[in-house]
Amino acid sequence: MNKLLRTLIPFDIAKGLSITGKHFAKVFFSANRRKVPFHITSEYPEVPAKVQPRYRGRLTLLKDEQGEIKCVCCLACEKICPTQVITIEKGKKEGRKMPFPVRYDFEMERCIFCEFCVESCGFDSIILNHQFELAAYNREDFSIGMEGLAQNMYEPTPVGKFSVAED
Amino acid sequence: MFKNEEMEINLGPQHPSTHGVLRVKLRLDGETITHCRPMIGYLHRGVEKICENQSFFQGQVWTDRMDYCSAVANNLGWAEANEKLFGITVPRRAQYIRTMLNEFNRLASHLIWLATHALDIGAMTVFLYAFREREDILDMNEAFCGSRLTTTAFRIGGLREDLPPGFEKMVQKFLAKFETCLEEYENLLSENRIWKKRTVGVAKLSAEDAIGLGVTGPVLRAAGVPYDIRKAFPYAAYAEMDFEVPTRTEADTYARYLVRMAEMRQSARIIQQCMDGMPEGPVMAKLPKILKAEVNEVYHATEAPKGEIGYYLVGEKGSGNPYRFHVRAPGFINLQALPKMAEGALIADIVAAIGTLDIVLGEIDR
Repeated sequence: MNKLLRTLIPFDIAKGLSITGKHFAKVFFSANRRKVPFHITSEYPEVPAKVQPRYRGRLTLLKDEQGEIKCVCCLACEKICPTQVITIEKGKKEGRKMPFPVRYDFEMERCIFCEFCVESCGFDSIILNHQFELAAYNREDFSIGMEGLAQNMYEPTPVGKFSVAED
Repeated sequence: MFKNEEMEINLGPQHPSTHGVLRVKLRLDGETITHCRPMIGYLHRGVEKICENQSFFQGQVWTDRMDYCSAVANNLGWAEANEKLFGITVPRRAQYIRTMLNEFNRLASHLIWLATHALDIGAMTVFLYAFREREDILDMNEAFCGSRLTTTAFRIGGLREDLPPGFEKMVQKFLAKFETCLEEYENLLSENRIWKKRTVGVAKLSAEDAIGLGVTGPVLRAAGVPYDIRKAFPYAAYAEMDFEVPTRTEADTYARYLVRMAEMRQSARIIQQCMDGMPEGPVMAKLPKILKAEVNEVYHATEAPKGEIGYYLVGEKGSGNPYRFHVRAPGFINLQALPKMAEGALIADIVAAIGTLDIVLGEIDR
């Protein structure tokens, strides 16, 4: 009898609909009334996404207070990189005792953002910044060097340069 | 008068319900499957060979990319296999953090399984709700190690960094609401007549067949075999944790659903215990700068969300690379059970059979 009743009356479907209805009502009636809305999603390109402090983004070279590159060409990052995306050429600069990188090439298209290079660096001269909008239209835009290229290692990629939000 | 002929069709490799690039060769008699052979290899990258040419330290990034839904569990197995090879003891605090992150990863993996499995069978709502909770876990991954999916969470000998400030608050906030969320999924599915019609008695795999085919994980436990490596051969801090191994005896798709839901509750329990009993101290053991192996071989198995993931490593004297590296991937072995489950069933049930095995093709093809 009980089984027949359960077959005839769709209790289970009512149960499911009550859950979805509750969530719908919660969002619908709280819209524009609460300071912190119940929304799960965010309107990403208009509202910038927040990242955690340890986020692993694009590789960036750091400079010290005098504006000198901190990198001393110990090649630790080049050796540890699992995909061999870093190429460093050693050189000398006048008035600087430590070696100076003439070239520091970073091929982002093969980078897997594992942060092993930053971990291996004993001079704190590189970091992974907080950028995640790294898409580009041309392959050349992924080859990042020190100077004279579309992007360079000191400056982060201009935000929105390659994203749709700019249009 | 009528000709009786069997028809051969391909399911996949671009079918959304095959969870990746899996091609299943089917021979059909009407709507009944008479012959079923999974064809794999579309995502083969040669992870094992690549790792043999890289140092022990670098190899970890490849384990992220095998089973990308449970990267932390893969990292744990890799780190522990290496520690076994070099004879390193990991500090106790690091063990606890590893255990906690591993359980979070189990939750994330089971949630994505629930979401996609329900979506395949036709329950769209659960997909959205499960991804909502998974998002919180991925945020915690990002807070701990800086990446959401390809975590590279652990290092040989411990962890790179301690827990970030505010992590405990995130965990407590998640645990406080997670029980309600699980009840929500169960209210949507457990008694639902469509869900029950599509899962009860579908894709059966008896305990003998499961053991004979080497199937592990929730699929084996739903057949009534209480085999869980966390209990049988405790690793990390599981020996100190109090949890149960949920089993069912029905051995069908519905039983596997119940087992995984019960496992999620146990995972939440383990996380709570880890947070309560978190010891103080360092998180990294003292290591030589370059790891050089002796002639030695190890096999270390851990309980990944999908089943037993085992790493087999052979060291070469004075070399920084493994001489031989092999992965016993749970998805690869579990996929062997697909013909047994699907042959004789209807063609619509193969979608449920693939979903219930919880396969990830990145790990099967490696």
